[in-house]
Amino acid sequence: MIKKIPWWLGGVLMALLLLFVFSVVGADRPIGASTYVPYFAGILFDLDPEKYVYLKKIHNPGSWEGVMLLGVLFGSFINALFVTKTFRFTVMPAAWKKYKNNSVTSRLFWSFVGGFFLIIGARLAGGCTSGHFLSGMTQTAFSSMIFGGVVMVALVVTGKLFYKENRDV
Amino acid sequence: MYDKDTGLIDRLLSMFQTVQDDGHGSVLLVFIIGMVFGSIIQYTKVHKFEKIAGFSMLKDTVVPKMLFLAIGLASIGLFVLIQLGWASYHVKPIMLGGLIIGGTIFGASMAIFGKCPGTGPVSVAEGRIDIMVGALGGVFGGLVFTVYYDEFKMLMGESLGKSTLTGYFNDSQGIAVLIFGLALVAISIAIPLLEEIDEDDIGYQE
Repeated sequence: MIKKIPWWLGGVLMALLLLFVFSVVGADRPIGASTYVPYFAGILFDLDPEKYVYLKKIHNPGSWEGVMLLGVLFGSFINALFVTKTFRFTVMPAAWKKYKNNSVTSRLFWSFVGGFFLIIGARLAGGCTSGHFLSGMTQTAFSSMIFGGVVMVALVVTGKLFYKENRDV
Repeated sequence: MYDKDTGLIDRLLSMFQTVQDDGHGSVLLVFIIGMVFGSIIQYTKVHKFEKIAGFSMLKDTVVPKMLFLAIGLASIGLFVLIQLGWASYHVKPIMLGGLIIGGTIFGASMAIFGKCPGTGPVSVAEGRIDIMVGALGGVFGGLVFTVYYDEFKMLMGESLGKSTLTGYFNDSQGIAVLIFGLALVAISIAIPLLEEIDEDDIGYQE
């Protein structure tokens, strides 16, 4: 079984998937992957969509992405178990140990903070890597090019400042 | 728009019903789109912390190479589909405050977390506990954004319209998209291939 595909094949397949989803035989919409988070937050915390304007606004795209997310989780889980054999419970990425520290507390703290602000940032910008970067730039949208440029700079600057060789390995 | 539903189960059922009635593909199709999307991410390993945080340290370039290639090819393909009447643009508005503040926060978080909202679920499905904790953080982020939406909206600023590069060219839209797409493909090929490999990954085999 194939466990890994090269970046160029991934790029070609992702382009084909984008085109299918955009087309009328597919979903006639872009792929997005961050609206589902506040959508599920609304469900989990039992917020009334009548009371919160934002929940009302994202009801339809949130539902679509919610179903897509279930597909991602299901497909990835099956792949991880039977194809790529990458399923295992871990807490610490190898590169975190290599470039940051050996502390589980530190990794979990930064994961929580990172996850929190990742969603705040995506919802402020109106999209994420999928909605803006992939789908938006495919439509040659200026909003998505601005987002893409800002994200690339912030990502690389943060990477330079946040990580260094961990000498305690 | 939706039923007066209360409770977790009712609201989840309403999610499926909304998708089924929305005209953007059946529930099954959207589910399969998710499976394919997740599989492409998983087989190329672009969801790995080593790939995303690695890119932030400029030690791995698989993410930008794949993104630029996908966009380059898809932008040309989408233009063709639109000419044939088989698709249309769904462009997000330019809201400078939101894009710049949001993009900065997003980029910084992506470097530290080592995931984005599309790749995180793949790692959750592979049993990564740190990413499950991050997903919980994300749910709280979604909650805070929903509750304080009015305040966040002020940060986002006015919409400056939904303009596209294609929209600036009247008679030569096809040429403009072709140049845009080919330039991105060229960039994706020109970026040198660097890889930061996860040494713990037992499933990692060339």
